[in-house]
Amino acid sequence: MARLLVVDDESSIRLLYSQELADDGHEVATAATAAEAVEKIKESEFDLIVLDIKLKNESGLDLLQKVVKERHNLPVILCTAFSCFKDDFSAWLADGYVVKSSDLTELKEEVKRVLAKKGK
Amino acid sequence: MDWVCCWHRKIVEPGGCPNIGEGEEVLYTSYQRRVLEKCIDCPNFRKDLQKMQESGNPLGEVVSFLLGEVREQRGKLQSMVSFLDSREREIKFLHEISLVLQTSVDLDEVLSVVMTAITAGKGFGMNRAFLLLADKERKFLRGYLGVGPRNDGEAWAIWEDIQRDDFTLKEMARDFYQTKLTSEKQKFHDVLKRMTIPMADPNHVLVRALREKRPILVENAFQNPECDHSLVQALGVDTFLVTPLISRNRRIGVIISDNCITRKRITPQDVQSLETFAFSVAFAIERASLYERLQEELLKVTAVNVKLKEQQELIVKMERMALVGKITSSIAHSIRNPLMIIGGFARTLLRGAADDDPKREYLESIGQQVRQLEEVLEDILNYSDSLYPALDTWDVNQLVSAVCRELNGRLHERRVACRLRLDTSLPPARIDYKQVAYCVRTIVNAAMEGMPEGGEIRAETRRENGWILVEISDNGVALSPERIDAMTTPFGSTEELGSGLGVAICKTIMEKHGNLFEVDTPPGGGTRYIIKLPVNREET
Repeated sequence: MARLLVVDDESSIRLLYSQELADDGHEVATAATAAEAVEKIKESEFDLIVLDIKLKNESGLDLLQKVVKERHNLPVILCTAFSCFKDDFSAWLADGYVVKSSDLTELKEEVKRVLAKKGK
Repeated sequence: MDWVCCWHRKIVEPGGCPNIGEGEEVLYTSYQRRVLEKCIDCPNFRKDLQKMQESGNPLGEVVSFLLGEVREQRGKLQSMVSFLDSREREIKFLHEISLVLQTSVDLDEVLSVVMTAITAGKGFGMNRAFLLLADKERKFLRGYLGVGPRNDGEAWAIWEDIQRDDFTLKEMARDFYQTKLTSEKQKFHDVLKRMTIPMADPNHVLVRALREKRPILVENAFQNPECDHSLVQALGVDTFLVTPLISRNRRIGVIISDNCITRKRITPQDVQSLETFAFSVAFAIERASLYERLQEELLKVTAVNVKLKEQQELIVKMERMALVGKITSSIAHSIRNPLMIIGGFARTLLRGAADDDPKREYLESIGQQVRQLEEVLEDILNYSDSLYPALDTWDVNQLVSAVCRELNGRLHERRVACRLRLDTSLPPARIDYKQVAYCVRTIVNAAMEGMPEGGEIRAETRRENGWILVEISDNGVALSPERIDAMTTPFGSTEELGSGLGVAICKTIMEKHGNLFEVDTPPGGGTRYIIKLPVNREET
């Protein structure tokens, strides 16, 4: 079991991801903004962050940079509706990249792969 | 006194005068004409005159003196008549030729008339003529056309032809233009190639003729140290005439003419006639050249106009596409999240539902429909992305292999075999890798869709006429032309959005990259998709 943090400004998506990832046996926390996510990362230990790129009025890529800088051993999977960010070199800092889909198989596979890489 | 000649008889019986021939019978009775036309040249009359002088008749000496004067005046008169005849012929000939020269704007036609006029017996009667024209920059005189025989044998053949055909000068010029010009241009190719004279050389005889604006008759050329020996060698004659062609002070070129076969002397009259002729020739050549250049410019302007129109249409199309792209991209992104939530929760509920739960069917249906909508969105977003290609140099073989490898699982599931035939000598191509990979993937998927019972897909790469070709063909049912047309038109059929849009996007992407995309049905069956990519220019 791993501790995951889902960061997305859309509450329904937070809910969906929480349920689906919890079904896979993970403990899932959520954050709606970058500030809330930073707060939660400070408060508790996480094994992985699932991060949306387009947050309300802010960019998930800025948060990604912050996380990499401060907690370089905390892996991040970018999960977004925009496939074009895959070519943005600032997105290369992430450990995984998934285009949002109603079929969460790809996201779940990616979570499994990244955690396995971390030894979880 | 007994006279030997019949000069003293008013009428002579037929056969009475040995000088009256057939057709001149009227002279038997026409006394005055007989004396003036026949007697004054008759040896018998001279004998009678001698006899008269010897007998001491003073009229004998007077008549003899008058006779000499009459003969001399008659000779002068005949020579003037012959001179006038020849001038009249020349004026008629020049008039006839000038009419053609004034009306023609075809350089080859003008040259045919000019060269025929100079070399034909009915014209100036020179054996050979060479035309040298000043180049566009007016830096060199270059050999352009030579006309005439290369040797005695050919000369005889030409003259026999001329006698047999009995053409007028105009007909000869037309015949030359229609049947001989092309071969004649080739005939003296070697000689003409050696005729390149810098116009800056003031001492060269051709340049001198242009500068002094007068014809120059070159004689003893082989011995003349001032002559350009390579030119003399090329011509192979020691006497030739150089006639300058000048129109409105512009140096058009020169005509070199000679009598290399007959060795006939070039007379001052020949020189004068050719000089007169050269004025209209220079004018006609200049006008025809200008007309030719005008035509060339006109063609260029027309081509530029066509290109401009195409570019304008392309810009309008691109603007429309870009706008469509922005709108669709924005709509697609705002739809994606809600769709994902609907589909995602449907799947969650489905997983929690019991096997016999009647709601399972509804949930499955929601999941499938959402998935299909997501695929449509993916296509639309790719379509928008294709409007901004990121070009780089890539190995097309690697791209095709990677895409086919990626689709291996799906191909296997659908019992479709994928055979690769890649040309290993392909140069790199300048393409947007992501977009072209998307196209190859879409085509393979479309081919798979067309073969629900399984089949074979062949992916081939090769080089052809400066393009790199990616050819993907299947052995399924051949598509109809209407289906191909609908398939390659973006948003052509909104009813089937999602099933045919991908191929239309491929076409758009290819066109945007300056590539080509074709779909056809080869005679052997199935459907063939061809992508033509440009070779990376740095590599070629």
